[in-house]
Amino acid sequence: MLDLLKSAVREAPGYAEIRYHRRLQTAIDARNGALKRVERRTLAGAGVRCLVDGSWGFVSTTDVTREGLRNAIAEASDAARAGARLRREKARLAPARLGKGEFIYQTCDDEPDIATKIGVVLGAERRMRASSPLVVGSIVIYTEYADEKYIVTSDGAEAHIVDRKPSFHVFATVGRGEERETGGKGWGVTGGWHDLMRKRDLEKMVDEAVDLAVRKLDAGYAKGGQYTVILDPQLVGVLSHEAIGHTVEADFVQSGSVVKDKIGEKVASDLVTLVDDGTMRGAAGMVLVDDEGVLGERTVIIDKGVLRSYLHSRESAAAFDTVPRGNARAFTYRDEPIIRMTNTFILPGDSNLEDMIAGIEDGFFLKEMGQGGQADATAEFMFGIAEAYRIKNGKIGELVKGITISGQAFEVLKSVDAVSGDFELDLGAGHCGKWQPAKVDAGGPYVRCRVTIGGRHE
Amino acid sequence: MKGLELCDELVRRAKAKGADEAEVYYLRTRKLEAVFEKNDLQVPKGDTYEGIGVRVIRRARQGFAATNVLTDEAMGDTIAAALAIAAASPEDPNHVLPEPSEARPVPGIYDEMAESLALDDALELGRRFVEAARGYDSRVTIDSASFVVQIGERAVANSRGVLLSEKGSNFSCVGMGFAREGDDVSSFDVEYSGSCALADIDPEASGRRLAEKVVKALGATTIPSFKGTVIITPYAGGDLIAEPIAFSASAENVQNGRSRWKGKLGASVASALLTVTDDPRIPAGVGSTSFDREGVPPEPLEIIKGGVLGHYLYNCYTARKDGVRSNGRAIGNDQTTPGIGTTNLIVSPGATSLDEMVRNIPKGLIVNRFSGNLDPVSGDFSGVVKGGHYIENGEIVKPVKEVMIAGNIYELFAHIVAVSREVVTIGDMRLPYVQLEGVSVTGK
Repeated sequence: MLDLLKSAVREAPGYAEIRYHRRLQTAIDARNGALKRVERRTLAGAGVRCLVDGSWGFVSTTDVTREGLRNAIAEASDAARAGARLRREKARLAPARLGKGEFIYQTCDDEPDIATKIGVVLGAERRMRASSPLVVGSIVIYTEYADEKYIVTSDGAEAHIVDRKPSFHVFATVGRGEERETGGKGWGVTGGWHDLMRKRDLEKMVDEAVDLAVRKLDAGYAKGGQYTVILDPQLVGVLSHEAIGHTVEADFVQSGSVVKDKIGEKVASDLVTLVDDGTMRGAAGMVLVDDEGVLGERTVIIDKGVLRSYLHSRESAAAFDTVPRGNARAFTYRDEPIIRMTNTFILPGDSNLEDMIAGIEDGFFLKEMGQGGQADATAEFMFGIAEAYRIKNGKIGELVKGITISGQAFEVLKSVDAVSGDFELDLGAGHCGKWQPAKVDAGGPYVRCRVTIGGRHE
Repeated sequence: MKGLELCDELVRRAKAKGADEAEVYYLRTRKLEAVFEKNDLQVPKGDTYEGIGVRVIRRARQGFAATNVLTDEAMGDTIAAALAIAAASPEDPNHVLPEPSEARPVPGIYDEMAESLALDDALELGRRFVEAARGYDSRVTIDSASFVVQIGERAVANSRGVLLSEKGSNFSCVGMGFAREGDDVSSFDVEYSGSCALADIDPEASGRRLAEKVVKALGATTIPSFKGTVIITPYAGGDLIAEPIAFSASAENVQNGRSRWKGKLGASVASALLTVTDDPRIPAGVGSTSFDREGVPPEPLEIIKGGVLGHYLYNCYTARKDGVRSNGRAIGNDQTTPGIGTTNLIVSPGATSLDEMVRNIPKGLIVNRFSGNLDPVSGDFSGVVKGGHYIENGEIVKPVKEVMIAGNIYELFAHIVAVSREVVTIGDMRLPYVQLEGVSVTGK
């Protein structure tokens, strides 16, 4: 395959990259006493990108024969030439450390067969229904991407990548009369089935999801307003990724995000160091070589409160006169690489969680993301919270529901006055969406800060 | 047509390999797309796709596998994979494939113009959108935009004798942008237009609408909290009104206990001002189709009429469970098993004009876009209002920022006090402006 791609890329008039990507996706979805669906999908093909006269052309095809690739290169370079007449800002590529050779992310020996996996999913779903008479809805979903890629560029990348990213979602709905409440857990890794099972205990997650949903039936609502809160590692990940991370993606910066021209400025508390790092072993956003063939590296975005770096593709790195560190990613062969995060997190500090809670007079202890969560170029964000407890006089109190947090993410980071020594990446279950999905991870320690709580007016 | 023959042949192959019943869904698409970012062309894209999905039922066990590698060997492997999954799955007597029935074509869903367009044309149409937005006001930034031309053929065959195919086209123009003046950055906003007919798309008008919205959102200030009147615009209504209705009307969610509308057929679930229809037969409608993912022809359904729940949305599996016939709401493609969804969801217009609606509000908020979280199970929602405007004494007085709204949408459906005459088409949804009472608005 590598030889085929190498000979095809030589026929391109300028810079070209060919990415053959074969994905075998497995989804097992059990709900409400039935196996709702088991799907096994093969999606394979080549994404061809050409740069002619400073303009891109991208063509994707299932035909990966010599002839098919030749046609794709011709079509992509014709499209690029046509685009060059329109495009004002000419694209250039920054020099980069390019991947060459074998990149086997995890060895996944003794991967169980599909019958075993179906059995485990069904067993977890049964356990969920059996765990409380209030359970009216039960969902257990296993998803797995097994990817193989060959990436060749006309300037020297030649990478063969083997990667596997599985995840679990468990979701319980409980009911009493007309009332409905939900509780969910999700986790994901880069690795095999056994790595995923080691990350979290499936049965424990099922029990916790049901328990949370049941407790929410009796929980009250909170009054909205400004509060001091503790964010758990997952929510720190959500804040780092959704609210901060997207604003430092260089394409968002170029279109005027809130951190434009702010490199070197103080944007957060001294306690905050925030990084993006594709090389974190086993994290769901692990990317050793990105889809432009660039090697993954750690990017320090915020260093002790000072904004240091944006996240780049080769094109944006050239525009900013810097180097790319493996943040150009494509979800399938049909997608072109765009600037994405990998694993995004705040580094641990030296506070103790108990002391951090004890220091709050009137606030909330917030755990895990609920449904929804958005942010935009202004870093204004809103996230639903799955599990929220009142903190009064330094003590954790009752569970409250229907909580969202919002604010301006950099203001929130400036308000950080304590960072715990804990560390966990805990956002590997789902996908990040930006025109195309991407598997990412995020997290950090526990963080104490000020946010706006959206609750209900009584 | 090639798709139909391939489906028919693979159904027979799956039967020969041991399937009691088999279904093959075929999809072929050709897509041309011009992507713009930061006011400039980013990339022209072309994609040619062809794939199949095989569903088998053997001894009441179902298996599904799909591939877009259409070699004889890969398709054989796919049939084998589907059978292996069926063998590992428990019995479920509700797995059933539909009997054949006549599918009447929907006019206008295939615009032959699409065949003659090239990537150059998509570039030109996209350029017109971006330039219209930028030309409206120099403070406008089009963060991203795309113009997409898609043509395709879908086909489905099953061992009961279903054998259907349909050609379709789709043109869409979508843009996302904001306005910036000094340090003042407006909320992001979105403008989307889509149709099966190229003549329905006006890139200039669409670009100007987006520009107008983001410029109006400049200079936003905070407002104090209150509980009261909000106007949900069509864009916000997609998330706050259409989605929870589609969710709770889905027979799957009714059966699994996640819908609030279980046992509510014939009962009131909303204000008498609310009528919602799902219509698959709108000429050139983005969601129009003559047969669903399983080959069942859908007919228009009045989901809610005058506040009363009329129908659930069924595919074959959920219909069998309830002992009824599928009403053709199976959705999905060659890479997925059938789910449930709407076709073109229409909230019927009311008697009030938007101007009158505003004039009658002493204090209220126009929710231009909702960026937040709505739990469709409980109906609780809470989120940030994007590009919102404050109403005082019957007049729109200023744009607002850092405002959140919260409430329970199913309870609020009973508090719809006005529905506008104006209706906006957003892809497969047609929505008016809807006035709600009793919404919690949290400001600063």
